[in-house]
Amino acid sequence: MRLLTICFRNLFRRKMRTVLCIIGVALATTFVIAVGATTARYATVIKEMSVLFSGQVMVVSKGAIVIQAIPITGSMLQESLAEELKQNIAEVEKAVPILFVTPIGLEEIIQPVPPNFSIGIPVENWRLILGPTPLRGNAGHFPTNESSDEVVVGASLADQYNWTVGTGIIVRGYGLEIVGILDTKLALLNRCVIMPLKLAQEIYNYPRSVNIISVKPFQGCSQEELADVIEQRVEYVNALTEDERNDMIQPVLAQVETWNFGIQTVVFLMSLILVMTVTIMSVSERRRDFATLDAIGAPLSYVFRTVIFETSLIGVFGGVLGVAFGSFAALVLASLYTSIPLAMFFPTFYEIVSPFYMLEIFLAVVFVCCLGGIIPAINATRMRIAEVLRAEY
Amino acid sequence: MEIKTADLTKLYRVGSSEINAVNKVNFEVKEAKFMAIVGPSGSGKSTLLHLMGLNDYPTSGKIFVDDADASLLSSSERRKIRLFRMGFIFQTFNLMPTLNSLENVELPMALAGRPRKEQREKAVGLLEAVGLGKRLLHRPKELSMGEMQRVAIARALANNPEIIIADEPTGELDSKTAKEIISLLFDINRKEKTAVIVATHDEKIVKLADTIYTIQDGKLLQQ
Repeated sequence: MRLLTICFRNLFRRKMRTVLCIIGVALATTFVIAVGATTARYATVIKEMSVLFSGQVMVVSKGAIVIQAIPITGSMLQESLAEELKQNIAEVEKAVPILFVTPIGLEEIIQPVPPNFSIGIPVENWRLILGPTPLRGNAGHFPTNESSDEVVVGASLADQYNWTVGTGIIVRGYGLEIVGILDTKLALLNRCVIMPLKLAQEIYNYPRSVNIISVKPFQGCSQEELADVIEQRVEYVNALTEDERNDMIQPVLAQVETWNFGIQTVVFLMSLILVMTVTIMSVSERRRDFATLDAIGAPLSYVFRTVIFETSLIGVFGGVLGVAFGSFAALVLASLYTSIPLAMFFPTFYEIVSPFYMLEIFLAVVFVCCLGGIIPAINATRMRIAEVLRAEY
Repeated sequence: MEIKTADLTKLYRVGSSEINAVNKVNFEVKEAKFMAIVGPSGSGKSTLLHLMGLNDYPTSGKIFVDDADASLLSSSERRKIRLFRMGFIFQTFNLMPTLNSLENVELPMALAGRPRKEQREKAVGLLEAVGLGKRLLHRPKELSMGEMQRVAIARALANNPEIIIADEPTGELDSKTAKEIISLLFDINRKEKTAVIVATHDEKIVKLADTIYTIQDGKLLQQ
């Protein structure tokens, strides 16, 4: 008679209680997976933004909040500042004015995760932000300086709205033509509409204004030296090196991870208490069985293993259900936060909830349930037939 | 296997008072004998059996198993003696409710680490011997009380014990079934040469026993 079979039958002697316990563990796992996968995904997206503008100093208005290279708030800068920097600072090899626009919601509040971005950039500097990003299927082209209505869009946006090369779209009343679709893995670029700077300034009504200037130092000049010089010469700007940009986001990411860990710990503790309570009840009800096992000479390890196996089974069932529900919930959350249809996340399912993360949480749940079985298992090994029968009479 | 006790005493504390469940009992279980311990409820029969079955520890006095002092045995050694050398039968059968008859009988053999094939063959044989050849796959709740006690007897015999300790084995049974169970225990004693020690009120068992002990207020009064 296999121990697993015995434990399985023991567990389902009280079907309702066991099922409710499994559901409790599954809900806890669902919560952990959904929250953990969502925060991990956003941390990944933020971290991957660091590849943009690598090796460049980003100039923004003083007090502007910047996530990696993306300005979230802050005043605008004159586009001409880019040219002034190049002219007046010897260490500057190149200065490119860029306009980042995130959509504003109905209440004039920036959405927590914007569904799309517009980026205006002088066309000769496409590579500065796009790097070697190709166009999907090598179809189309990047807008030219002469173009007044040509844009390229990210693949995710194009897929959501069934846009193809040649499709006409309207942004704030301006008719635009898609001349290329970016083939990239970067989440930010996937949700971007990239257009010539002048066109962006016109559409979003920021005449001759930008909110960021990307400055490339001459070879031999460090980013730190260049940033210092810029901040000395232009008082109303912050010049952020790559390290500074990373340093700005690190505390936020660390705090997110701490909160995530804290929430996971609390949820796992609640699961542990649930499993422990249910198992203590179960052991107490079956004290005669455990005492009989003791009377007929069952080793303590056998009794201990029986209880631990039972709680592990709760962990296995709860973990499997929780991982399945939690992974789906993570997709739903991603869809809700980004306004991207749920179906679009299915192909990238394993990017949002990695198999390793699923396995990690599953094993953690089983381990927690095992821990929850320790005290009841110790209780079970202490059942003695003489005491149990005496107590019954 | 021989079990002897010397001034065996067991005290229970209930509130501020002490109850002398077993009081300086000197007793000997001889090989292949059928012994009965009789006495009224609460006289200490079950306590004495639990002590002799190494399921409980005395307050004072000694228990000797084959001349070895049981108080010097480790918990694990006591378990091994219970598993390999003793068989237990309880008044309330104490079968595992989630296991069927066959599995209940296989359980002590599984705990003893016997091969699965051997467990199955032996369990089937024992259940057939106690007349339950057609109830192998029934769980306890699907069996009558007499059938449950037969399964318990088969379980007690699983590891070929040298002694069977039965605590009021017919206490929950009607007279006809009780008679069958008594005769089964008697047959085992005679055929297998297994010592049987029974705590009972049942006159029929008392009549069959080789030795009869009476216990009252924890004292073994007469032999």
